[in-house]
Amino acid sequence: MTAWSYYIATLTVYFGVNVLSALSLNLQFGFAGVVNFGYIIFQAVGAYFAAVVVLGPSGGTFQQYIFGARLPFPVELLIATAAGAGLSLLIGLFSLRNIRRDYQAAILLILSLIATQVVQGYVPLFNGSNGVTGIPRPFFSLPPTLQDYQWAYAGWVLVLCVAVYALVSWLSRSPWGRALRAMRDQEEAATSLGLNVTALRLQVFVIGGAIAGLSGGLLVEYIGAWSPDAWGYAETFVIFTAIFVGGVGNYRGVVLGVLLVPIIFLELPRFLPQVGYPGLMDSLEWVAIGAIWMLCLYVRPQGILPEKRKLARRQDAADATPKPIVKRVEAA
Amino acid sequence: MSAVGFGVVLASIIAVAAMGFTIQFGLTNVLNLSFGAVMTVAAFAAYLANRHGVGGWSDLAVGGAAGAALTLVLGRGVFKAYARRGARLFEMMMVTLGLSLIINYGVQALSHNNIYQFNVLPSRLLQVGSILITRTQLVIILISIGVLVGLQVLLRGTKIGKALRAMAADPDLARACGIKTGQIVVLTWLLSGFLCGLAGVVYIINAQSVGYTTGQLFLPLVVAAAILGGAGSPMGAVLASLIMGVVTEEVSAFGSAAYSTVAGFGILVLVLLMRPSSVRGGQAGHEQLTL
Repeated sequence: MTAWSYYIATLTVYFGVNVLSALSLNLQFGFAGVVNFGYIIFQAVGAYFAAVVVLGPSGGTFQQYIFGARLPFPVELLIATAAGAGLSLLIGLFSLRNIRRDYQAAILLILSLIATQVVQGYVPLFNGSNGVTGIPRPFFSLPPTLQDYQWAYAGWVLVLCVAVYALVSWLSRSPWGRALRAMRDQEEAATSLGLNVTALRLQVFVIGGAIAGLSGGLLVEYIGAWSPDAWGYAETFVIFTAIFVGGVGNYRGVVLGVLLVPIIFLELPRFLPQVGYPGLMDSLEWVAIGAIWMLCLYVRPQGILPEKRKLARRQDAADATPKPIVKRVEAA
Repeated sequence: MSAVGFGVVLASIIAVAAMGFTIQFGLTNVLNLSFGAVMTVAAFAAYLANRHGVGGWSDLAVGGAAGAALTLVLGRGVFKAYARRGARLFEMMMVTLGLSLIINYGVQALSHNNIYQFNVLPSRLLQVGSILITRTQLVIILISIGVLVGLQVLLRGTKIGKALRAMAADPDLARACGIKTGQIVVLTWLLSGFLCGLAGVVYIINAQSVGYTTGQLFLPLVVAAAILGGAGSPMGAVLASLIMGVVTEEVSAFGSAAYSTVAGFGILVLVLLMRPSSVRGGQAGHEQLTL
């Protein structure tokens, strides 16, 4: 029973972290049309910063990192959040200018590929390929048993999930959220109404980055270690697949998608008999993620629970960049 | 100085891939992120051919053929199907990304996640001025020059090239003028796929090993070179590759390998700042897919 309890508590934490990721990506992609294919690096930077500011000064022989400190509990999560936001601002400043959306996405993907190589290659930053380990868990000695601690932590993650859920759905309903949707659906029209679309994109990118940083901090304090293996570029696409499956632009659908894809679908193989050599199942899981991705794009781009439309709209809901206005202007 | 030599070799490899990418991208407008995955497949095809006794440089032909075949299947089969479902530029990029996940991790599954040695030829060291270079590397440089010359002749000197350029400029007008656009698109997939496969093999000949990440790690350099050089321009792609290859190797000669990847990314940032016209959104007319 203990093993099951441990497993379910861990799954709950993963679920919470993935929900945070999906909420962040859905705000960026579903509402603003910003395609963050480098999402995982913002989670990673949050995780690394949360780790190094509680690990104590770097000086040990077995791992080296920057900014070693020993800060008390909520501060490291604030730093993780700030790190995610700060890196988003830095990257957003040049990658979100007025360029084609497919270029934007490709640049962020490339950045994600390169970031892994940089962290692996430059050891003094975050201890290279080995990563940082032995990260202390907040209030670890407080609950009587490990099991209590796991469940308390899972509850804490879920509380933050609810808070972030409330925040992003409030943001999406606000006038600012309407501006985001206007930008997503008709960028030229939004611009002509006086919206600064570059600033809007940057704002949503930074808010999403902050949530990503927070999710990284929460994850790293639970698992106690963080290395480049934990944030391969493909991890981003698990979250994207969850959003596609659940429903782009619908927060409840997104939570459902997280439950279906990263939790049920990716955990199910643990209960199947091992096939082939060790590691084959992992590879095949990724192939399956790619296949679900392709299938969603082909069959039902709007997901299981599509975004609720308040007004009558074009039939083509999946198409986020219609261009009729440009043509009319050019003809005139 | 030897860093310059290595830089030119790296540039040659990037150039072969970037020329393939830029022709494909210039004509079809698909930002094909599965390009790296196809490189990997072609590299493995060459590796398998080599293991089964196909010797030396004919591996290049095997890899090229594999790349051409796979690219044609993806282009006419998958991309076209999605275009019929209403996918536009952006959705098509998402499609290529899903494909790249499937292919990359499919190769990982088939290759047992191992890295395999690939030694084609024992290579002698040559000295050209103050630059030391192996015979294999010299051949790699010659291959990329050969591809460039061949492409220039094809694009500038033949009717097919003229049709290709016409279609890249305006597909509707080209069709109206009686150009058999379907055939030209097939030719583009085959040609760019061949170069993609060729680049994959050339890459593993130089690296002397092949693994499932081979193409994916190379993709950033290829995309950056193609964008920097301007879509559809082989000459631009080669010049961009030269800049990127030499800068990357110079930086890694003076710092660690980590700095060279940063340098590679720095170049991409410069591209975005310096060539906004080639990457800017919202230009009607150049924004449709040709499949």
